[in-house]
Amino acid sequence: MNVVFRHPTRYHMASYKYSKCPISNTGSSTKEVSVLASCANLEDIDVFFHAKSVAIYGASPSPNSVGQAIVQNFLKPQYEGKIYAVNPKYSNVLGVPCYPTLGAIPDPVDMVVVAVPARITPRIFEDIAAKGSKAAIVVSGGFSETGPRGAELEDEIVRIGRKHGIRIIGPNCVGVIDTLSHIDTFFLPEYRCGRPRPSNVANISLVSQSGAFAAAISDWTSEMGLGISKIISLGNKADVDDDDLLCYLGQDDTTQVICYYTEGYDKDKGRSFFDTAKRISKEKPILVVKSGRGARAKEASMSHTGSLAGSDNIADAAYKQAWIIRAGNFEEMFDMAKALAMQPPAKGDRVLMVTNGGGLGVMTTDAIEALGLSQPHPSPELEARFDERLPSYCAVKNPIDVVGDAGSERYDVVFEEAIASDEFDIFIVGMLLQTPSLGMEITNRLANYSRQSGKPFVVISMGGSFTSKAGEIMELMGVPTYATGEKGALAAKALAQYGEVKYGKDFKKTFGADKS
Amino acid sequence: MKLAKKIFETALSEGRTFVLEHEAKDIMKEYGMPIPAYGTATTADDAVTKASEIGYPVVLKILSKDILHKTDAGGVKLNLKNDDEVRDAFEEIMANAKRYGEEKGIEVDLSRGVFITQFAEMGTEVIIGVTKDPQFGHAIMFGLGGIFVEVLKDVTFRLIPLEEVDAREMVREIKAAKILDGVRGEDPRDVDALVKVILAVSKMVDENPEINEIDCNPTFVYERGKGVLVVDARILIDNPNAKSSSSH
Repeated sequence: MNVVFRHPTRYHMASYKYSKCPISNTGSSTKEVSVLASCANLEDIDVFFHAKSVAIYGASPSPNSVGQAIVQNFLKPQYEGKIYAVNPKYSNVLGVPCYPTLGAIPDPVDMVVVAVPARITPRIFEDIAAKGSKAAIVVSGGFSETGPRGAELEDEIVRIGRKHGIRIIGPNCVGVIDTLSHIDTFFLPEYRCGRPRPSNVANISLVSQSGAFAAAISDWTSEMGLGISKIISLGNKADVDDDDLLCYLGQDDTTQVICYYTEGYDKDKGRSFFDTAKRISKEKPILVVKSGRGARAKEASMSHTGSLAGSDNIADAAYKQAWIIRAGNFEEMFDMAKALAMQPPAKGDRVLMVTNGGGLGVMTTDAIEALGLSQPHPSPELEARFDERLPSYCAVKNPIDVVGDAGSERYDVVFEEAIASDEFDIFIVGMLLQTPSLGMEITNRLANYSRQSGKPFVVISMGGSFTSKAGEIMELMGVPTYATGEKGALAAKALAQYGEVKYGKDFKKTFGADKS
Repeated sequence: MKLAKKIFETALSEGRTFVLEHEAKDIMKEYGMPIPAYGTATTADDAVTKASEIGYPVVLKILSKDILHKTDAGGVKLNLKNDDEVRDAFEEIMANAKRYGEEKGIEVDLSRGVFITQFAEMGTEVIIGVTKDPQFGHAIMFGLGGIFVEVLKDVTFRLIPLEEVDAREMVREIKAAKILDGVRGEDPRDVDALVKVILAVSKMVDENPEINEIDCNPTFVYERGKGVLVVDARILIDNPNAKSSSSH
């Protein structure tokens, strides 16, 4: 099947920069075909993030309406494209010219946001087809999620879309936020739902089946200082699905880590997601939060194996096999994603914990062990060098406790010696700034060691407003910082887990090696 | 594989979505899976001849398109040590199957007689199985048998097809993995042979996607170098005709 014919592309997007899949270079000729075929719709998907002209169908001047909120989003000066309102009732919405139909708009329209009642959407799609637009985001609900009548409407718009090469996100979603192009169809006013910003260190993109979670994460990450490139709410996944976006984000230069929230997959779609993820996870980390972990009603099964297999077991296996990192919840996902976005993957699992507070050292050590990372003591030679250069009351095993009266020069000793020794792959640093002797220059020094060593660093800065501020500064310098030892250990685990994906057999795994 | 396709066609033509035990084992043998010696017999005399060829002790099981759960139908006799025991077992199985049919109000086809197989020496019991998930397709399961699977559900899954590294990971990652290393003075079990069986099952399903479910339960793993035996095997297949009327 020729995918290009299925979705003829009329607009040549200036921003489109994917001439081919880079991964295909390594495969055999048959593999190349399949990689290209499954990623051939990059150009269609790109319109959702780089449309140069957007029409809002169902735009409205009514206060607190969805149709007004979306127009408002595009009025930001940062959005550089053109914006049109469509609604036969008005000639003007918030100062934006309003047309009765798409056909009345004199210029081409790249993307249409559909915010009208479900029952009239088939008519709207005929209008979109006539206009020649190739991307539509349907934010309205009232489709397959409500029953058979809604499902018919959904089938109908998908049929029209397929016939005319219109790709559809939704229905029943909040659509797309792109923090770089400033396309933003989230119909939640910004004063209620904050918008994330891109970071100049590294960015995460999130695909969410749920619109509510997509919105909450937008709001939440806007205050976390976590760099976000894109948030996409897929809703009913009537056309554009997890696979399309995984392909697209896999090759998107502004996305360094891909995050998913899913509640499950349509028939056979779990398998295709697995196939796509297997190709992409070596290039970029993929994290998934999947709900529906609990035991669910099993279909009548005649075999023992069938009765033991819940769908979640199988999903878990698929994620493992496709090198996807599964997180238990959003907090865990973003703790891990932050580390993966900011730091290089680890080349082994040997952690050195350095702290100026013993309690934090012990707690973090428990978490490190529970997560299956190794925390070896320094070799006698290295220990001797620490002994020589540190005060005698410092503990120089692992964790290393430089104790409460430490200034940053004691951390210098630890990192100069430990990095040179090559005995460790990951550094977890307890930076307790409540002590009077530790100055803010520690952030600068840690950032330098992190950059120069090429090894991943994770910082723990526990406490109130002063230490949180220090954590923010640390992150501006590219070192992920956490409020508890457990979170820091989980971040280190993610860096090791992805290192194993990235380096395969060359990953130095020592945990449990003495036991078998 | 041609043999598998032929067996599946026959099963479907008889309205079965399961294959008979000797058929399942024929297919598995073709994929290089280790199976204890077996044969079939339609008369008591025939059973005795086959049993002495295989070597005592043997197991007899009913072989009928109308019986999936053989034990429920009184259709399994274990550890038969000589000609007389085989002869008696044959007659008893036939009588039980007939009675089972009468109780259920169905006429049980007895024309295929019995399945005869070597009574395998007990090894470490494991289960290897296959299921088909609506979202992810075929997945393979591995776990230790008996209480580990029944009570603790200590099993692990991978999607099919899988690679050797996946199979090795499966064997290592169950909670009771240490049992395969040999506990309480036992020698380590033949994990290499076990991994080969897991890969053979994966290949079999990959090449025959009409397979719905498989149980190799029990499979015995012996000490290192002594291999593995798939003692009981069940293969369930898709019925393409039934599918259109089901709720997919």
